[in-house]
Amino acid sequence: MTEAIPLLELKGLTKRFGGLAAVNNVSLKVGDGSISGLIGPNGAGKTTIFNLITGVYKVTEGEILFQGKPIHNHEPYRIACGGITRTFQNIRLFKNLSVFDNVYTACHRSAHYNLLDSVLRLPRYWREEKQLREKASGLLRIMGLEERQDISANNLPYGLQRRLEITRALALDPKLLLLDEPAAGMNPDETENLMRIISEVRKMFNISVLVIEHHMDLIMGICDHIHVLNFGCTLADGTAESVANDPKVVEAYLGAEEVTA
Amino acid sequence: MDQFFQQLVNGLSIGSIYALMAVGYSLVYSIMNFSNFAHGSVIMLGAYFGFYALTLLGLPFTVAFIIAAFGTAAVAVILERLAYKPLRDRRAPFLYFIITAMGASIFIDNSVIATIGPTPKTFPPPLLPAFLQGDPLEWGALTIGRIDLTIFVVAAICLVLLMIFIDFTKLGKAIQATAYNMKASALMGINPNFVIILVFAIGGGLAGVAGVLYGMKYQVFPQMSAITLKSFIAAVFGGLGSLPGALLGAVLLALIETFVSGYLSTQYRDLFAFIILIGMLVVRPSGIMGKDAEDKA
Amino acid sequence: MDYIQGIAILIGINLIAVLGLSILTGFTGLFSFGHGGFMAIGAYVAAIVSSRLNLPGPVALPAAILAGAAAAAIASVFIGKLTLNLKGDYFCIATMGFGEAIRVILNNIDYVGGARGWANLPNLTSWWVVLVLDVVFVVVAWNIINSRQGRNMVAVREEELAAQMAGVDTFRSKMIALVVSAALAGVAGALMANYIQFIRPTMFNMAKSTDLTIMVIFGGLGSISGSIVGTILLVSLPEVFRNFAQWRLVIYGLAVIVIMVGRPSGIMGGVELTPSGIRRIFAARRAKARLEAELKAAEQGEVA
Repeated sequence: MTEAIPLLELKGLTKRFGGLAAVNNVSLKVGDGSISGLIGPNGAGKTTIFNLITGVYKVTEGEILFQGKPIHNHEPYRIACGGITRTFQNIRLFKNLSVFDNVYTACHRSAHYNLLDSVLRLPRYWREEKQLREKASGLLRIMGLEERQDISANNLPYGLQRRLEITRALALDPKLLLLDEPAAGMNPDETENLMRIISEVRKMFNISVLVIEHHMDLIMGICDHIHVLNFGCTLADGTAESVANDPKVVEAYLGAEEVTA
Repeated sequence: MDQFFQQLVNGLSIGSIYALMAVGYSLVYSIMNFSNFAHGSVIMLGAYFGFYALTLLGLPFTVAFIIAAFGTAAVAVILERLAYKPLRDRRAPFLYFIITAMGASIFIDNSVIATIGPTPKTFPPPLLPAFLQGDPLEWGALTIGRIDLTIFVVAAICLVLLMIFIDFTKLGKAIQATAYNMKASALMGINPNFVIILVFAIGGGLAGVAGVLYGMKYQVFPQMSAITLKSFIAAVFGGLGSLPGALLGAVLLALIETFVSGYLSTQYRDLFAFIILIGMLVVRPSGIMGKDAEDKA
Repeated sequence: MDYIQGIAILIGINLIAVLGLSILTGFTGLFSFGHGGFMAIGAYVAAIVSSRLNLPGPVALPAAILAGAAAAAIASVFIGKLTLNLKGDYFCIATMGFGEAIRVILNNIDYVGGARGWANLPNLTSWWVVLVLDVVFVVVAWNIINSRQGRNMVAVREEELAAQMAGVDTFRSKMIALVVSAALAGVAGALMANYIQFIRPTMFNMAKSTDLTIMVIFGGLGSISGSIVGTILLVSLPEVFRNFAQWRLVIYGLAVIVIMVGRPSGIMGGVELTPSGIRRIFAARRAKARLEAELKAAEQGEVA
């Protein structure tokens, strides 16, 4: 019986900066339609893995396979167009643009008119621009940002900025969404809200999600599968329950103490 | 063969000046990760400071040098505090820094033109120290101009002092640490603001010395700030951000320019700097001694 | 009247180059020290076409303009391919070197007059040609900016990494901006050559490049109407302040620093002087006010 090809697979992934291995022989799989968590103490290499997946860093050793095909060392924009988008730990919105324009810009791949069409304002431009506007509006409506669409992105409160970043990442119709600490700086209510949004997004857009997080409630609450990193190496890998009870994980996070669940 | 060695001497002389400029520029670049495009104007001011210290204030030659160096160090620090720091604090985009540098350079250059005037000035020989006033030195078949020798010696002294400072003093190590990782160094107790000021001061000081030397060899005029292009090219050639690279790039650039000028044509000398730049960008953008210019995120 | 017309034509010619630079610097965030070089290429190629090729009357100017623009565009592709994939500093240094190199090369080509310049070029540029071209290129610039290509350029300016993560081919966006701006500079150079009827390498040195950039900055980065205002202002001011000519640049330099540190959005404040542009500003303000009111209400709700 052949196993379904995982959506994303990291095989023996290693990234060295000079002498230091930020990511060391990490292998993990993200299944289609799942929400997976990537956790570990600060500096464990989680964002580095995101950077490797999205092509920002070149791989030192190992492979990254997306839908069975290697994507490591490809150009970042190609990987994004291929179906993997992300949000950033320190929000990287187009700060001087409005909420609407942030998403509108990111919708660009849904249009195909070229520069000549733009300069001469040929029919294809008008037709496709209209579609882009509708798509952007639709996304904003689904994500509850329609009312705020004229505000400049840097005037949004923090929680909405994060939501906007996720919305922008969805504009490319990704198959895999990488969220880098989406709940950073949020209070429990906002975190709950975010959890709900992520679950809804998974269902509504039929995508898989890989989340880096420190908020354990979020991770335990929505992740089907968790991968634990420490000092660039895999510490544990499994369901939320198995990972929570794994003594190695407990030790890494809390020191060698017993924790009652 | 004699001509070859003669060109070598010329090349090393101008290379010394390029080296001071390029190292000053690279020092700031390695810490701030940004190119101070106003560097040329600082060099030019150094020449004027030295000139006036000598002619107007009647100070002895070495003192004039020191005044020029301190003067330009001060200008560089003022520029940093008034123009660059506010941008840094606001996390302004890279573009704003370049524009501001351009503005500063226009301001400084034209202030000089508007006040002192555009006519070039020459260091009057009678005011130069005695040893600079004799005939060129003979060494075997070589004729070594006294000024060229002085330039080489002064530049060498400055660069050696700089190397000792960076490699062997506590402050120097602080600079190295900050160049490597500003945040981590700050956590270790190194005040980044202080390091930044120090680095601009040193870069400015080197620029000042370069300016005086250039002014001595040629003339002092406001448009000489354009020479800074050579320092940028030298730094790219040797590897942006690497101090030994800047030195190497500067000397090589000057030698190539001199040989081209000597054997081919003086007209195309400045063009060769550009050709070297393009060549480097095609073959190896990180420069001779640069590390792979890889990641950003 | 002739005098004013002369200024108007100069404004019109410079505006074309400034529009290009606005796209490159104001909207894409790339800084060029060497656009004088592209203007020079445009001017000299146009001069060759208009004075040495003996083309029939009506064809001469369009041919000269096209040739000049094309030559400048090709040169820019060369620079772009080498540097736009690297850090921003490399592009700046390369444009600086390029500008200088062009000047040195032109100084040494006797066929085009060398350092002394080339006089007696045909007078083909008329005020209505400049006006028509101005309108055309303002529309072209506007159309580029308000398209997905233009939005991608702005994304590159705002957050290049995030733009790549949003699938934008940032290298391509930068190339488009560069080539368009170089072509426009070439057009301006061509018009200049056949208006002043005299060209000389020093007319296109770094001072020219920075002059053009200053016009973009004063008008405000990211605003086409701003670039128009900036050009009008900065081409006509020198005439007004002719007595203080040397101090003009001193003040400009200082003004640039003050603008960048204080109000980078320049005169126009990043606003476009169009109905939609103004509407956008008010919509943004209203939405922000609404948001703040809601947040305050929520806060008070919690406290109470």
